[in-house]
Amino acid sequence: MFPPGLILTSARELTLEAAQSAGSARTVNSRPSNRDSPFAQTKKLLDSRNDREVLEGLRKVISMMYRSKPCLPFFSAVVKNVASPNIEIKKLVYIYLLHYAESEPDLALLSINTIQKSLSDQNPQVRAMAVRVMSGIKVPVISQIVSLGIKKGCADMSPIVRKAAALAIPKCYRLDPNTLPQLLDYILTLLGDRQYYVVGPAVTAFLEVCPDRIDLVHKYYRGLVRKLVDMDEWGQLATLRLLTIYARKCFPVRTKKMSQNKSKGFYEDEDKEQEDDNSGEEVQVLDPDLELFLKACKPLLSSRNSAVIVSTARCFLHLGTSEYIDAAIGPLVALLRSPQDIQHVAMNNIVAVCLVRPESFVGYAGHFLVWATDPPDISRLKFEILTLIFPHCEPHMKEMILSELEHFTRAADTALVQESVRAIGRCAQNESSASTRCLRLLLAQLSSQDGNLVAESLTVIRHLIQQNPQAHVYTVIRLAKNLDTTTNAEARASIIWLVGEFSSLPEEENIAPDVLRILAKGFADESEAAKLQIVLLAAKVYLHYLIRITPAQAEEASDAPSTQEVEGAPLHVSSPIEENGWQETHQQPSSDQRGPEPEQDSTHPIPLLWNYILHLTRYDTSYDLRDRTRLYRALLSNPQSTQLASLLLLAPKPIPHTPSPSENRKGLLIGSSSLVIGVEAAGADGVMGYEGLPEWVKEGKEPDAKLRDEALTKDAYGDRKDVPAARELDKAVEKKGLGKIGAGASKDKTLDDWLAEEQESEEGSTEETESESEEESSEEEESESEGDEEVDRLVKQ
Amino acid sequence: MLSNAVEALYIFDQHNESILEHVYRSRPASARAILPLYLAHPTPRPSLIYLPNVNPPTVLFSVLHNNLLFLSPVSTETEPLFVLEFLHRVIDVLEEFIGDPLLATKIEGSYDVVAQLLSEMCDAGSVCNTEPNALRDDVDVSGFLGKLLGGVGLPGSSPALLPSGGLKQQLSLNPTSNGPAIPWRRANVRHTSNELYVDIVESLLVTLAPSGRPLAAFANGSIAFTSKISGVPDLLLTLSASGGKLGMEKAIELPVFHPCVRLARWKERPGELSFVPPDGRFMLAGYEVNLMPSNLDLKTWSNTNLQLPVSIEVSKSLGLTGADFEVRLILSSIFPGASTLAPASRPNLGTRGSGRSTPIFGSSASGPSLSDVVVTIPIPQAVRNITDLRASRGEAYFTPADNVVEWRVPTKDAASAGNATLRCTIVGPLTDDDDDRSDGFAFDVANGEYDDKEETYQSSALDAPKKSAANEQNQSRDQRKVQQNAPLMPSSASVSFNIKGWLASGIKVDGLVLDTRKSRGLGEGVKPYKGVKYLTVSRKGVETRC
Repeated sequence: MFPPGLILTSARELTLEAAQSAGSARTVNSRPSNRDSPFAQTKKLLDSRNDREVLEGLRKVISMMYRSKPCLPFFSAVVKNVASPNIEIKKLVYIYLLHYAESEPDLALLSINTIQKSLSDQNPQVRAMAVRVMSGIKVPVISQIVSLGIKKGCADMSPIVRKAAALAIPKCYRLDPNTLPQLLDYILTLLGDRQYYVVGPAVTAFLEVCPDRIDLVHKYYRGLVRKLVDMDEWGQLATLRLLTIYARKCFPVRTKKMSQNKSKGFYEDEDKEQEDDNSGEEVQVLDPDLELFLKACKPLLSSRNSAVIVSTARCFLHLGTSEYIDAAIGPLVALLRSPQDIQHVAMNNIVAVCLVRPESFVGYAGHFLVWATDPPDISRLKFEILTLIFPHCEPHMKEMILSELEHFTRAADTALVQESVRAIGRCAQNESSASTRCLRLLLAQLSSQDGNLVAESLTVIRHLIQQNPQAHVYTVIRLAKNLDTTTNAEARASIIWLVGEFSSLPEEENIAPDVLRILAKGFADESEAAKLQIVLLAAKVYLHYLIRITPAQAEEASDAPSTQEVEGAPLHVSSPIEENGWQETHQQPSSDQRGPEPEQDSTHPIPLLWNYILHLTRYDTSYDLRDRTRLYRALLSNPQSTQLASLLLLAPKPIPHTPSPSENRKGLLIGSSSLVIGVEAAGADGVMGYEGLPEWVKEGKEPDAKLRDEALTKDAYGDRKDVPAARELDKAVEKKGLGKIGAGASKDKTLDDWLAEEQESEEGSTEETESESEEESSEEEESESEGDEEVDRLVKQ
Repeated sequence: MLSNAVEALYIFDQHNESILEHVYRSRPASARAILPLYLAHPTPRPSLIYLPNVNPPTVLFSVLHNNLLFLSPVSTETEPLFVLEFLHRVIDVLEEFIGDPLLATKIEGSYDVVAQLLSEMCDAGSVCNTEPNALRDDVDVSGFLGKLLGGVGLPGSSPALLPSGGLKQQLSLNPTSNGPAIPWRRANVRHTSNELYVDIVESLLVTLAPSGRPLAAFANGSIAFTSKISGVPDLLLTLSASGGKLGMEKAIELPVFHPCVRLARWKERPGELSFVPPDGRFMLAGYEVNLMPSNLDLKTWSNTNLQLPVSIEVSKSLGLTGADFEVRLILSSIFPGASTLAPASRPNLGTRGSGRSTPIFGSSASGPSLSDVVVTIPIPQAVRNITDLRASRGEAYFTPADNVVEWRVPTKDAASAGNATLRCTIVGPLTDDDDDRSDGFAFDVANGEYDDKEETYQSSALDAPKKSAANEQNQSRDQRKVQQNAPLMPSSASVSFNIKGWLASGIKVDGLVLDTRKSRGLGEGVKPYKGVKYLTVSRKGVETRC
């Protein structure tokens, strides 16, 4: 309370003060001219008896505090002002106290008594502040006092004090975990509070103090669900977290077979969803209480707070059926309207959802076009989404996505180019029908002058060819032609390797020896990477030649090696062309057999080429190259035994599959930091403190559903069905009218009541009729059960 | 599971000097330890950076606003959006309380207010109160800044901040005793002049294919509402789109609302926003409009349907050596749908509304006006320089540091409709080739100049015909040069602009009704002054690819 005099004088005084403090603020900040005695000066101000001077001193101290200048020396001078009746002074002292109490526990303790007195102040604001400060002083000795203070706060008439009490609970717990049993009581009291903005902090407290005591929530579950919409954003966030865990632990997944016969399905329902053996689609059946929660979440999707939207999406993703997930997708996409910092996080979450349900994103493809202003992180994620939805799109949309990606292959940023080329590759891989189109697109890039782009495209092309080698014999020929013009070392190496993989083709189609011949000419000018591949190519070509001219051996080795060989053929086994290749190799030798000239080494060009390459590499400067050549030479030294060599050189290559870059984050919870940071940086377990959702509870192990309505049935409503709600309400109003004299009328009302009440009351002044109209409105506005509960509360009161 | 807590808030000024450190909980890494690590991250810095080597391992959240850097370190798993939203709320609240734009000096000048706000908004890490109206009840701005602002009448500070001292103190005692009835509205609001303003701002995001066909076109709208009305008013804002009620439902997609909006009403009757507003200025809603018809029609969709008053075309690889490119800016004075909008569109704040039920926002003094037209053309890094920036109107600059050509086109003169062109010649990287042919290069330049004189007049002119027979032998070389220069050509261009009095979506305010029956404490016969403002902006939002 203010002394009345203060109010009277304040107008004039405050004007003066404004001028003064504006001036003083400036001196504090910009001009440390009166340096000689700032300390003494400030202290003098603090010791002053004039509120205005004290305030000014406090402001100086707070400024110093925020600039991390030492202001501990002022401790006693500041703290003794705690008893000041001036609320402004009090606030600043409290801020200081919270900041420094830990460093001066003994002195801080001296202030506790005064603060405790404030707990009984007339002004609820002062009481709330007292609760907050007391719990914020980190001196463990006072934990019991704090606990008592919270208890008092919990029973306070003013909701702002109860809110402060709820916020104080976790602080008290951190101060001294032994207070847990008492704190649990307080939390439960507050969870049942009528005020939605007391409940929010209470849920936060619950999550911090005893997140595992899900069993305590049953009674409040429905109340929480109902209040969810009216809570503030931060309360909603906490409640969503709590209820998500709760749902996982209390509602087992029930599925029902949708049988063809509808009526039968209906009867199944009646029979408590007994599963029968009817064939049919499995449909998830939501527990009515779970559905209540999910439905209550829906309005949150138009929240202005992005965190709420993502949290709601998380609920739907992990608890709901596909319809719910789909409902969340639009709002998620809408987050792209937010500032860039939020966009970045939102995009990560969108990708995570998109991995689960790509088809639902198709309609939003336009949102994921990359704008010129997008930073690289966002562009990358947008590409990923485009590739994820690609297989589900209409043809013209596919065309659009591909041209979009193609556009960015010409971007200035090399990282972006790389990403876009990879994205094209993923498109082709996920959708075989589009792969020729993609391949053509990529092949067109090969003529680019950007070496980086060429190399990246080739890598992707190589992967595509490996996935379906039969179809790409001519692609390889086309690639080989590019060897004339391509200068990028890695690109050349890639092409040569590919040619080598196709060296097992029958002679007429086989270009490998020819390519080798041409490459051998320019061998000295090649880069090391290309040289390595040329040697490998030579080895493969030579090996195939050896296999061909030694049919006897191939046959001798009979099935074992030959099957080996088939497996060892570069491309995978079951494919028909491979069979052909195998047959060809057999035919070829047989034709050789007719004119048996097994020792053709000296004249046939392939051995000559092989030897030539061997010579060239022997004198190369690279150790690595010489080493490898020695290896190949040793392997192939004996023309009769090709078995080991073919195992080594012609081993089947695993089909490369490039997963979507975020695939490895799939297991991480959306909305978490770990998801954004990624597995690579944060480790598979996520950031410290990361914990996934609990598994669904097993059917039969869930807590009884009746626990949830206990509060309703036990307390007030044996006769719930018999008595009309309206009559109940009337009764309650009477009782309540007597019951609440001291407490403010409006404190118990929910938001809806309050707003509805205005509709009711025609006159401007409603103070007298308030309680009545409230009840009427609750009767009208709320559903019956809700109205009933209202009565329940009132009755208890 | 995730625990949501803010551990600390650090604010740095434009010189990266720490101006504020507020620790909420536990012992987070200090501002001094964190800043260098943040700065070490290459730009653009993401809003979330993981610093595993700090003690404790920290996830660092950052928001940049007006050159002020807001950092918040968190050492345990937290919902990132929770922290980021909190940072944004802090910014909003600070702007509201100590003045917009938020400057370092303002923060330094009012540490006491900032301290109260910060401790009020977040209690030991739990965010608890971020409603500006509720904070106004709790935090005494009257300290000195409130009155300072009040006395000076600083623009941007909400007028509701500053009742005279005595009243303020009464208020601080009175309203909170029973708890706020409406969490977002301050109790006992009093205004002598009762005013309501609706500002609808749409920002365009349009991507055009090289052919001119739109690939995607969105208008992201936000409705800012300013309410300066006494008591507890109950308002009904009716929006309409060209397609009537159904059109409304289709037009406004994915809306988000301030908590004050009654969702049920909106669902029932799309376009009707019924709410009890907070006092002062706030964001009532956000929405988006897809300017393209539904995806099904895409195939038949041609660019004629999407009429933007400003658009650009780029033609490249022009001139002898293919070193020129030309940007054409097309300004049209036709604002689609503007004719229907005209009575409601207001370049300035509205004139006095005359009635309650059907507010007339005055007749418009002038049609939509276009301003601040800037064309931005990103240039590949390989380009060494750009010579000859020839703009038919306005001025163009090349900034080598950012690799961007910026072209400002004045729109003051006349209706300023019509076309404008900018032609640029790029200079590619030095290669051996170039040195060999240095005389040839000079020769080309001489030629080019001659051609260009013509081309500036006929904007669509492409390869001017070669005249000299001597050039025939150069032809092949030019082809090669054209090829060489091709990757040096820009691949996109975008245009920024503001249009006052016009909305791309065609949405307009049909009515703003103060329900006197439901409202309370209005005072006798209050007829608030109502104003509506429409603004369409593009921040590099209209992008043409080429």
